[in-house]
Amino acid sequence: MIPEAVNEILQSKIGGITVVNLFTFIIILILSVIIGKVVKANIHRIMKEKIPITTLIVVEKMAYYTIIFIGFMVALPYVGFSLSGLLVAGGILGIVIGFASQTVVSNFISGIFLLIEKPMKVGDGVNIGDVSGVVEDIRILSTTVRTYDGVYVRLPNDKVFSSNIKNYVAHEARRFGYTVGISYKDDAEKAVDIIKKLLDEHPLVLKEPSPTIFVEELGDSSVNLTIKVWAPSSHWYGVYTEMLWKIKVALEKEGIEIPFPQHVVHMAKG
Amino acid sequence: MFGKYDLSTNLKEQDVEIVVEGRGKRKRYYRRIGNEEVEKIIYADSGNLVVCPVEPVNIPDMTISEHLLIEFDKPIVVEPGTNSTFYAKFPIEVGVFLVDRKDVEEIDIFTKTKPKYTLYGPPERGVVCKWWKSEIYNEKPEVEKLYEGIVRVDITNNYSEWTEMKKIVFRAFDMKIFYDDYAYMHAYLKILKKAMGETTFNSRKPKNMQESIDIYLAKGIQKLDKKFVMEWRFK
Repeated sequence: MIPEAVNEILQSKIGGITVVNLFTFIIILILSVIIGKVVKANIHRIMKEKIPITTLIVVEKMAYYTIIFIGFMVALPYVGFSLSGLLVAGGILGIVIGFASQTVVSNFISGIFLLIEKPMKVGDGVNIGDVSGVVEDIRILSTTVRTYDGVYVRLPNDKVFSSNIKNYVAHEARRFGYTVGISYKDDAEKAVDIIKKLLDEHPLVLKEPSPTIFVEELGDSSVNLTIKVWAPSSHWYGVYTEMLWKIKVALEKEGIEIPFPQHVVHMAKG
Repeated sequence: MFGKYDLSTNLKEQDVEIVVEGRGKRKRYYRRIGNEEVEKIIYADSGNLVVCPVEPVNIPDMTISEHLLIEFDKPIVVEPGTNSTFYAKFPIEVGVFLVDRKDVEEIDIFTKTKPKYTLYGPPERGVVCKWWKSEIYNEKPEVEKLYEGIVRVDITNNYSEWTEMKKIVFRAFDMKIFYDDYAYMHAYLKILKKAMGETTFNSRKPKNMQESIDIYLAKGIQKLDKKFVMEWRFK
């Protein structure tokens, strides 16, 4: 069907490669670039509100260059390169690079797992191993945390992945507690009512789950009340630091004593 | 108190006072509510002051929640496959905005209500909501206008069983608040399953009312989901 002249041109060789194979090589490369761009755009569209922009850029580039690499490998045989030879060479090179970049690869893989597992996001208050602070960024090789005293800490992702991660704001609400001792002569029920009223007045002490206040222990020097309070995770620390002193002031205002540790000494007669 | 005013005005209602005064470009904004006072300097040639009710999730901090939960004083029981309408009250937060042809700028938000928050759903997956308690009314109730507004709720029970309700949750992103001398919203609740429903708002402006300024648009905050799916029961 193809006219003889066209067929001749297609089968003619440039540097030992037929024109048709050269065209196929170029078309595969162009197709892989187009597919790469489409995939990149779709990743951007789907993930833009789910992961940080810095990570998104890395993921987009990874997907784009992986597709181009695959296209390149598929196209190579058309220009006379043997994949098996390349694989052997690539294998040896891979071993060399592998040994040299073991940590980088480990961090990279951990970074991918962190992105999939999502134990935290940018802005969360966390504790990773012995570092506590706010997550500043989750990149493909490392995670950066601003500690509560303002220090920048870069953690390699393999360390993050293998550490215990406590995310203080992963859940909407969290509970914290105090123990307050009152003297034995005071009315514990009255103290419970005073504390309950105080907690009810605070906007961020959640109505539900409601605060729990009860006598936990008859201690050596005091009747110990346990107070458990639920607050929004994002604002719990402010409530936590505010309420204990307010409880102390409110109890004392109503004449309830918070005693010091004390011992009663009986003196032997004679 | 709600309305649009020139940049030279003096408003007083109950214990709330709003004053904008000054000559030329430099003006003084002063607001008092009880013992709480706010003062700002405004540089403006033209424009207006708009005082209107806003989504009641801004005080003390709009980052705490974008949901409002209204708890009813008595449970409502709704027959399967029917529509019902009732009225309830919601807390008022008043926004003060500077408005010109190009832009809206929030300069103050205040409330006479005492904010309180609660959790709807379990701690690990629920949502923190601004909490309010209201009676249920068959007709539009009388309200203290700077303290409470009126929300009309149309319930459709699409579920095959009787459903008892003690609370309703709204997402502030979707709220459409209207006002004349009081604030008004018109909401819908579709009961889908025994423990699941969906709340939305009617955006059509009622006759003789003005539409409030959307606080999220005024602050340039992107709205994500609008409707709210109540998936942790109605009790």
